[in-house]
Amino acid sequence: MIAWSESQLMIRDAVRRFVEDEIKPNLEALEHGDMPPYDILRKMYSTFGMDQMAKAGFAKKIAAEKSGEEAQPRSNGGDPSARADQVAATIIPIIELCRYCPGMVTAMGVSVGLAAGAIQSKGTIEQKERWVPDLLTLDKIGAWAITEPDSGSDAFGGMRASARRDGDDFVLNGSKTFITNGPHADTIVFICKLEEEGVDARERRILNFVLDRGMAGLEQTPALRKMGLHSSPTGELFLSDVRCGIDRLLGGANALKATGGGRAGAKATFQTERSGVAAMALGMVEQCLELSVKYAKERVQFGRPIGDYQLIQDKLARMEVARMNLQNLVFRTIELVSQGKTMTFAEASAMKLYAARAAVEVAMEAVQVYGGNGYMSEYQVEQLARDAKVLQIYAGTDEIQIRAIAKDLLAAD
Amino acid sequence: MKILVAVKRVPDPNATIKVRPDGTGIVTDNLKYVVNPFCEIAIEEALRIKENHGGAEVVLVSVGEQVCQEQLRTGLAMGADRAILVLQDGDVEPVIVARALAKLVEQEQPDIVMLGKQAIDDDSNVVGQMLAEMLGWGQGTFASEVKLSEDKSSAVVTREVDGGLEDVEMPLPAIITADLRLNEPRYASLPGIMKARKKELKEIPLGDLGIDQSVQVKVHKLSPPPERQAGKKVETVQELVDLLHTEAKVI
Repeated sequence: MIAWSESQLMIRDAVRRFVEDEIKPNLEALEHGDMPPYDILRKMYSTFGMDQMAKAGFAKKIAAEKSGEEAQPRSNGGDPSARADQVAATIIPIIELCRYCPGMVTAMGVSVGLAAGAIQSKGTIEQKERWVPDLLTLDKIGAWAITEPDSGSDAFGGMRASARRDGDDFVLNGSKTFITNGPHADTIVFICKLEEEGVDARERRILNFVLDRGMAGLEQTPALRKMGLHSSPTGELFLSDVRCGIDRLLGGANALKATGGGRAGAKATFQTERSGVAAMALGMVEQCLELSVKYAKERVQFGRPIGDYQLIQDKLARMEVARMNLQNLVFRTIELVSQGKTMTFAEASAMKLYAARAAVEVAMEAVQVYGGNGYMSEYQVEQLARDAKVLQIYAGTDEIQIRAIAKDLLAAD
Repeated sequence: MKILVAVKRVPDPNATIKVRPDGTGIVTDNLKYVVNPFCEIAIEEALRIKENHGGAEVVLVSVGEQVCQEQLRTGLAMGADRAILVLQDGDVEPVIVARALAKLVEQEQPDIVMLGKQAIDDDSNVVGQMLAEMLGWGQGTFASEVKLSEDKSSAVVTREVDGGLEDVEMPLPAIITADLRLNEPRYASLPGIMKARKKELKEIPLGDLGIDQSVQVKVHKLSPPPERQAGKKVETVQELVDLLHTEAKVI
């Protein structure tokens, strides 16, 4: 794939129009007020038929699973460009939303990608049918809870959240933090360790439970204040003796037998998350570049538009280079997925590392182009600069990405 | 039931339009084009008639250059069934568009021809009316509401006229032109967009229709509106009142 197709451009224009009509006028309330992002996201889903697409895709997968066949990843078997359009249809909304509201993509991605994704990859058929459809249509909001106050990058090693067996039930305890959608989530994937006698805490089995809002002993805090992504509510979860049956343990009894499943599963989730960051970065960079070029033409200092000065030109040119690189990474992702291929963990990490750094650099330079105005909230580059920073932190910090890339390089003979 | 909808490609109404220095046209470099907003309303109305009256075939028609297929695809993505592009380079004056549509009506035999009340580029506001005259059909222009009779043999069109509304009834087939408040056009859904590329889009050179192509109106010159003069600041209310009286002559 070397350019957007005609259908893809049409998707882009339609989503862009929606974003400009529905999100731009509400930006103040979403970013600086109390408006949760979910109603607008639901409206976007129903307007563009994304809910119906997700439902149809899910029904097909479940039917294939029940009949014991391998689920076909994409239809339109014979037409590669139609397959690419289908994949692009899931990525273009991410790019377009990120031009104004990267927080909304985070809220949407965690619900649809991480929470529903985890249930879909690890759950039994019954569990999928019970929770996934409502999450895919955003009728219910999902959260995916792994991070704890004392375990971030060392997510599994330092994890203290626990599941204790009590007859046929499990009793869950622990606290989770930085949980996207935490304050509003209806469905929560809670990751914890099975308490086992004689097994070192670092080595214990990882289990995933699905919790519903309102269960006894589950507390969801109001949103925490943070640097950016204000449109995405982030909170804490506290579990004290939350009792549940094996029906809420993802994978059911098998999860208690399989080895290493919990860790490998979460790793796969990280991979999806990481490849989505390139699309987010592209949206933010496109917007920063457009705004910067516009401002460089309009803003006059010393009698000339600042775009006449080479120091500003240098910034614009570097932004364009980043935009081109990110677009190529997104094209590559679309191409790979539409061919049913996956990128390696190291490649997803490399992409995420580059994309996050590019977004932060471009957004900060956009603030610099705008000067004093750029530091003011009135101009959008200030928000994008705050929002961009999170890309270097969540879904694995830059340092963790570097470790994954280096480990892969050094493991080769 | 079959509905023919005319679709015009026009510059994005939100774009800043610049007139070429020689006055022969507008600067088209990097200009974004869209479906004429009133045509979009016409497409939406046709789709609603289709959805609410037990089905209909919605056929889009555009007269213009090859690139007009972008706008036809947009209409197909919204849900129209197929499209016809009558190919002709350069500007096509309204009477020729009306003749081309009349010819296609002969071939397609639609029950309704829906048009936008006018295009936002040249604001001619004549194609629907001329077409009705050429076909000898009834017309409901500036429609803000369209109601079909139970047996789909006639339509009542509510028109926005000065100081109120006017309901006109006409037998089908008829011409209806859409005003701003008729409906709010839908966004094309993502599956709709992906299906659009598989729908039929037939191209016919204007010359093949065998219609009179003689030009009756020629655009001589375009000129931009005069640049707005800077305003004036006054110190006192009295001064303002005086100026409104002596200079602006409004009081």
